[in-house]
Amino acid sequence: MVYRNKLRGWLLDLYPDEDGLSIWLLGQDGKRHHLHQVFATRFYIAGPFVQLRLAWKWLSSQPEKPALAREERRDLFSGAIPVLSVELSQPLNLPRLFGRISKVFPDLIYYDADIQISLRHAARYGTYPLSDCEVEVDSQNRVQDIHVLSSPWDIELSHPPLNIITMEPEVDPFHAEPRKVWIQTAQARFSLDLEPERAFLVGLQAVLKRHDPDLILTSWGDIWLLPRILQMAKETRLNLPLNRDPDQPIKHREARTYHAYGQVIHRGQQIHLAGRWHIDINNAVMYHDYSLEGIWELARLTALPVQTVARVSPGTGISSMQIVTALKDGILVPWHKQQAEDRKSLLDLIRSDLGGLVFQPTIGMHKDVAEIDFVSMYPSIMANFNISPETIRPGRLDPDTGLPMTTGELGLIPRTLEPLLKKRIAIKEELVGMSKWDTRYKLYKAQSAAHKWLLVTCFGYLGYKNARFGKIEAHEAVTAYGREALLRAKETAEDMGFTVLHMYVDGMWVHKEGLKKSSDFDSLVYEIHERTKLPLALDGIYRWICFLPSRQNKKVPVANRYFGIFQSGEIKCRGIELRRHDTPAFLAELQQEILNILAQCPSDKHLQEYLDHTHTLAARCLDDLRNGRIPPEKLVIRQTLSRAVHEYKVPSAAAIAAKQLEQAGKFLRPGQIVRFIYTLGEPGVRAWDLLEQFNPKTINIPLYKILLNRMMQTIPCREIAMQHLHQIEVFRIPQMAQ
Amino acid sequence: MGRTLASITQAFLDEETAFAKFRRALRRSDQLVLDDLFASARQHLAAAAYASHALPFETILLCMLLEEHKEVIRLRQFVEEIRGLQE
Repeated sequence: MVYRNKLRGWLLDLYPDEDGLSIWLLGQDGKRHHLHQVFATRFYIAGPFVQLRLAWKWLSSQPEKPALAREERRDLFSGAIPVLSVELSQPLNLPRLFGRISKVFPDLIYYDADIQISLRHAARYGTYPLSDCEVEVDSQNRVQDIHVLSSPWDIELSHPPLNIITMEPEVDPFHAEPRKVWIQTAQARFSLDLEPERAFLVGLQAVLKRHDPDLILTSWGDIWLLPRILQMAKETRLNLPLNRDPDQPIKHREARTYHAYGQVIHRGQQIHLAGRWHIDINNAVMYHDYSLEGIWELARLTALPVQTVARVSPGTGISSMQIVTALKDGILVPWHKQQAEDRKSLLDLIRSDLGGLVFQPTIGMHKDVAEIDFVSMYPSIMANFNISPETIRPGRLDPDTGLPMTTGELGLIPRTLEPLLKKRIAIKEELVGMSKWDTRYKLYKAQSAAHKWLLVTCFGYLGYKNARFGKIEAHEAVTAYGREALLRAKETAEDMGFTVLHMYVDGMWVHKEGLKKSSDFDSLVYEIHERTKLPLALDGIYRWICFLPSRQNKKVPVANRYFGIFQSGEIKCRGIELRRHDTPAFLAELQQEILNILAQCPSDKHLQEYLDHTHTLAARCLDDLRNGRIPPEKLVIRQTLSRAVHEYKVPSAAAIAAKQLEQAGKFLRPGQIVRFIYTLGEPGVRAWDLLEQFNPKTINIPLYKILLNRMMQTIPCREIAMQHLHQIEVFRIPQMAQ
Repeated sequence: MGRTLASITQAFLDEETAFAKFRRALRRSDQLVLDDLFASARQHLAAAAYASHALPFETILLCMLLEEHKEVIRLRQFVEEIRGLQE
């Protein structure tokens, strides 16, 4: 009889190794089990018969010895198609073989060729990182069967007791040379001196052996700390057990710079460990938005390995979810996108190439304003109206509504999104009325942030040029439905006697004399839902809100520049200095203080008094500035380099600072942030991260004074405040004239 | 991320620039009034975008007219109020 043992625990990691898959399980017994599994992987090739025949011949002569077969599989757009199936018993061989064949036969169409191993495993067994699994193994820890007992869509989660240690140098290594590293374990916090190197490494070795962490959480670990430690270990030839799996090399991924949404983004190099995780909080995308809990949630939902998901944009996450849905449903995943935009006339292009509806708000201060938002508007539209690249019927419009039409069967995108939307709404409902001190509050907040990012990017991915399941007509259909929904919301509000102050893609600001309780708006919310069939919610009621004009022309409104105070006292602002990354800290703090003061203003009768108070504050700040009482680090400006230093024709302040750093041997790439201070004389700028001592006497005080004055024109915007608070009638007039 | 078509704001700015010569030949006082007209039209860019006409300037003219008429109504109402006070 074959020996079989059952293990129960949480899946930590899986990756291909030399004889199949390595799987790490954190057992309920507290042990970390290293398991192995035989796991065959397949890719498919389509194309003209003669070419496929040649490919078959070529493949059968290859050393990997793939198993070949002719099959029929489903393509998302063209339905069942004949394909050549290529199966490899060793997952590691697939990328090797595929890399060669795609060069020998570049004209063939490849499917399922470049899919992450964890996604394949997820599609076959339903596994995902941190899933609760029951695994049957033989005496050599070879997996015979896996059963997943949990679901990523569960609200209540069983979270594994992870061993975490954090490591961080005592200063930002880009700013100064660190001398020691702080280490925090579950029990203690201590530091290890980096010199002498051997003593440091021996100390670190002891920590790793003693605590055997599942996660090493570092600051600057990807770009500085781990490369430095690995270099030291190599020089002193000391065996440092950074990897839990001693047979695997430590994986480096190169730094890269790319464009996204009109911005240049830089991702530092990455260091991935095997058998345990390494996350660098400074290289983890949006770690500050959704913390570790958010990362776990993203890993669960997307089935991407934890170390990967911590560092990729949520866009990669949503496309992974689509891939898993496709694999599970037996739909081929194309290697390259194949759907080009359909032909259309110029007039049709003008009609369809539109974004969300963005209104121009009524400038000025307004009292008792309710903000009503559609919940996850675009994903809800995709799920509710079945918008997916394969369901959209280009050029066909519904004669009644003028909206794009879709076919009957539920599409790939709605199938992927539905459970995610359900979970998001369920968690949001839990959060309503939950005390901030509830033990689940932080967890739900982090999960909610992760869901939000996944949903936000899923719309963009319909139109993204490299998205495998993208189609521009589907992307346009979503915005068409969005505009329709917002206009119906506006009409509903006006029918019910509300004044619409502003609309922005998925939100609307309304006012009606005498209404200030949240229940006053229930009927409006209900009626809009009836007319649009989309979920929406009252975001809150502002005591007052101020829509700001353009800087260039005081009469021209700007869509996304406002600040306001909710009845709860919470401040919401968009597009003002406080929200910008390149505002020096002292200005952001001053603006925050000013808003805090205004937030306490009980009524418009007292406004003048409070405005005077804010001006006193600004005057005091100016005085501090003149007398050098503001610490230089609060004057530092952070800007992103948009191109390489030598590419600037007219060097900006950021470029000059980056050049100074280059001369000091610190090289920045486009998308990286440069910090600097404005100084007197030439060149007027000094990089903050130069090693020499900074002389505070060189600070260009007059320039900072100009910045402060400019900010004071945004807020409190005295003239606007005084002029408009009583003038809501101005835009009522056209209504009365109807 | 490129855009196939210029946004409505861009189309508006292009139209405004197209009248640069016209503006230059106006008196300074008239120039300011013209600027005001264009600024008032900007309040309805969202509607102009939604309308997506092939010739945006027609829509821009209508936006200016709309703001002008609003002002007329407001002033008419104001006059009537004053007259009411006097009677």
